[in-house]
Amino acid sequence: MRPALFGLSAVTLIVIVGFPVVAIVLFALFPHINELSFREPFSVLLPNLTRPRLIDATINSLSLSFAVTLVSALIAVPLAYMRAKFPLRFGQIWDAGFLVPFLIPPYIGSLAWMQLLQKNGFVEQALGFNLAGFLFSFPGIVTVMSLHLFPLIYFTTANAFAIIGTRYGDVARVFGGGPVQVFIRIYLPMVFPALLSSCLIVFILTIEEFGTPEILGSRFGYEVIVTAIHEKFSDWPIDLPGASVLSLILIVIAFFAFQAHQRLSDKFQTAIESQTVDKRGQPLSPGYLFAVILIFGTALFVAVVMPLATITISAFMDTLSGGVTASNLSFNNLIGIFDTSSEAWQAILTSLTLAVLAAVFTVLIALVVAFTVVRLRSAATVFLDFLSILPNSVPGMAVAVGLILTWNQTIWPISPYNTPVILLLAYLCLMLPYPVRMITAALRQLPKSLDDAAYISGAGEITVIWKVLAPLLGPIALAAGFIVFAISTRELVSSIMLAPPGVETVATFVFHQFDQGSVNTGMAMSLVAIVVSGSIIALGQRLQGRSRTGSTS
Amino acid sequence: MKSLIAAVATAVVMAPAAYAADLVVYSAGPKPLSGALAKGFTAKSGIKVSLFQSNSGKVMARYQAEKSNPQVDVIISASWGHAITLDKAGELLAYVSPEASKIPASLKTGTYAAQGAAALAIAYNTKSGLPAPKQWGDLTKAAYKNQITMPDPAKSGSALTLVQGLVAQDGKKAWELFGALANNGMIVPGANRAALNPVLQGAKGVVFGAVDYIALGLKAKGESIEVVHPSGGTVLAPRPIMIAKSSENQDAARKFVDYVLSREGQKHVAARLILPARTDVSADRPGWNDLKIIDFDYVAAAGEAAETKKMFADNTRK
Repeated sequence: MRPALFGLSAVTLIVIVGFPVVAIVLFALFPHINELSFREPFSVLLPNLTRPRLIDATINSLSLSFAVTLVSALIAVPLAYMRAKFPLRFGQIWDAGFLVPFLIPPYIGSLAWMQLLQKNGFVEQALGFNLAGFLFSFPGIVTVMSLHLFPLIYFTTANAFAIIGTRYGDVARVFGGGPVQVFIRIYLPMVFPALLSSCLIVFILTIEEFGTPEILGSRFGYEVIVTAIHEKFSDWPIDLPGASVLSLILIVIAFFAFQAHQRLSDKFQTAIESQTVDKRGQPLSPGYLFAVILIFGTALFVAVVMPLATITISAFMDTLSGGVTASNLSFNNLIGIFDTSSEAWQAILTSLTLAVLAAVFTVLIALVVAFTVVRLRSAATVFLDFLSILPNSVPGMAVAVGLILTWNQTIWPISPYNTPVILLLAYLCLMLPYPVRMITAALRQLPKSLDDAAYISGAGEITVIWKVLAPLLGPIALAAGFIVFAISTRELVSSIMLAPPGVETVATFVFHQFDQGSVNTGMAMSLVAIVVSGSIIALGQRLQGRSRTGSTS
Repeated sequence: MKSLIAAVATAVVMAPAAYAADLVVYSAGPKPLSGALAKGFTAKSGIKVSLFQSNSGKVMARYQAEKSNPQVDVIISASWGHAITLDKAGELLAYVSPEASKIPASLKTGTYAAQGAAALAIAYNTKSGLPAPKQWGDLTKAAYKNQITMPDPAKSGSALTLVQGLVAQDGKKAWELFGALANNGMIVPGANRAALNPVLQGAKGVVFGAVDYIALGLKAKGESIEVVHPSGGTVLAPRPIMIAKSSENQDAARKFVDYVLSREGQKHVAARLILPARTDVSADRPGWNDLKIIDFDYVAAAGEAAETKKMFADNTRK
């Protein structure tokens, strides 16, 4: 069974992730590979790598990623600790709130922040001052991106804290440990694998993120590698081999980040005997409770309510130049989306279907891959682990090109290209890193003695995964599924390249509104998408909450 | 799990049939225009059109990536440079539509022709309290200090065309103009949309080099924006339509080009406030007789594009 499991993981990852990434690498080395020709090999490497200002862009990319990862962790870890330790009422609702940033496309989020803080923005219209100087600066970009990405760390570490339970802390406290000491010496080391794992993904997502650096960074000449790559995609001349070469730099950075992560997480292997997923901490005094709610409320207000309110107001504004006045607010944009044709609904339906399929498949694949990587550890599985993070290091546009190069070939008897299935393949490729990272991290915390007990009782690997580990990994797998669902409903860059003629997703629909028409129509459609997929997630959260209380009572 | 896989497998097998069309068109926006052209063509000819709609960059990226197994018959881009590149590489089918006789000579060749054109203009927010500019050079005045945005020629084909045209006409003086604009606090925040938005939102006041039909369209929707075509001369950014040599539906492709360049097709173009390529179709916007157009050699300018972009960056970056 073990070779079969390894084979399954390997084949799945190689087909979904390996093929398109290898295609990009080949394109960088052989600039005419798109015509199936190996002529002029290596000819585009040097001109692109000796590009002026490339070193600056690389340094900018790295410092941005480090800063965003650090700030995200600083926001997320205290929240996650409190979420797991203190019995917050309506915890599921707080969690649902922190899923909202995933639903907001980064470029829409950045535009919202701009609308809010720039000169004559909403804040200035209401309060008389603007923060344009802060927004269009390095700290500004770092803040906007961190507010968008910290929930990834939050969900992973909150789950890790919950798995630990409070017993270890209680023991430490009996022996005289103060609260800070207990947090730093007991809890933090125990959640370190989960924290590192989610930091790795935030780091790599920041390296790859295009929308925010493009929208905010170009205002003060801040160029990163991804903006340089997109210049080669954006107008004329289109330079796909050049873009592939620059993507190689990102792959190399991802490789080193992954290595560093491996080293560190090997140092902090933890295994928690007897899991207590459900019991949550001791009751709090009203003062503490108020403080906790205040902290959660502030985080939610800044990261979710402010951008969401801006998007909502924009969606109701008739004209951009009209400002926020009663006469300029109406339902016209929302009506405009839906009255002309059924295209908008069709787009929403397509996106939802694809997002559900992507969530289900990626979580299932991730369960098998995580088991292979964590439990059947070998040199080959480390390679699989690295493969599973690669898609996040490469810009979506490059992945899309890789997918076209792979699947638009006459050698395939049947091909998903030019069918909606290519979009599913793209989403699987782009989204796999999230559940793989989250589930791998959680699995590292589970003691191997659980598996061994099952093996002794005669269970096979499949039974162990399905009957023993999957239920324990349930909460994190579900959270990962929701994240994949949320991001898939708004995925833009690969969708716009790969959508077969006539097929629209929410994001491509917004894009077409945006590209030529009004920003506010785009905001309106975005709002509709956020509300629709947000409700589905909230519903899922409620079902999850109910089924859990049902099973433990 | 197995049944899910089976379902996907069936979808893969079944789906290609659903997308069989007689003609595949890749088109840059605006989407309502390409949609109307495809629909009108099908109504007239009975030929089914499969339309991939995106922006120029994505259309070309898709075309390039598909080269080993080409899918597209007709390409419509918003960047004349794309046609020049493909023509030079010998990838375009030679075809001069009989309908092209009404198109000015500068906007057609043996392999491609303009579907329409955007003129580059100054667009300013009428609520900003700025004086109405008349010439490109007006924006170097103190009244416009820190109020100017311009699309980046490295990211916007039309902005590049404007720089090329002004440099072709004024040479060194044009570079001095860009330097003076930069000294006057002009920002170059990205592609066309990124330059226009802050002006609409009131964070900035005026766009140097706006794509006129987009600004005119927004004005028609009620935005407080005014579009000025400098009387000293402006530049056209033509939108090429071309047939790929690899096309397997060349007859249908020729018919489609004929339709787009016909009076009926050009009326669809005019309806989006784009300047029609035909001089005998009028639009609800400044037309061929109202604009003073700077004529220059597009092909020669394209050869120096990389140098032009670099010069622009050097002159505007502080």
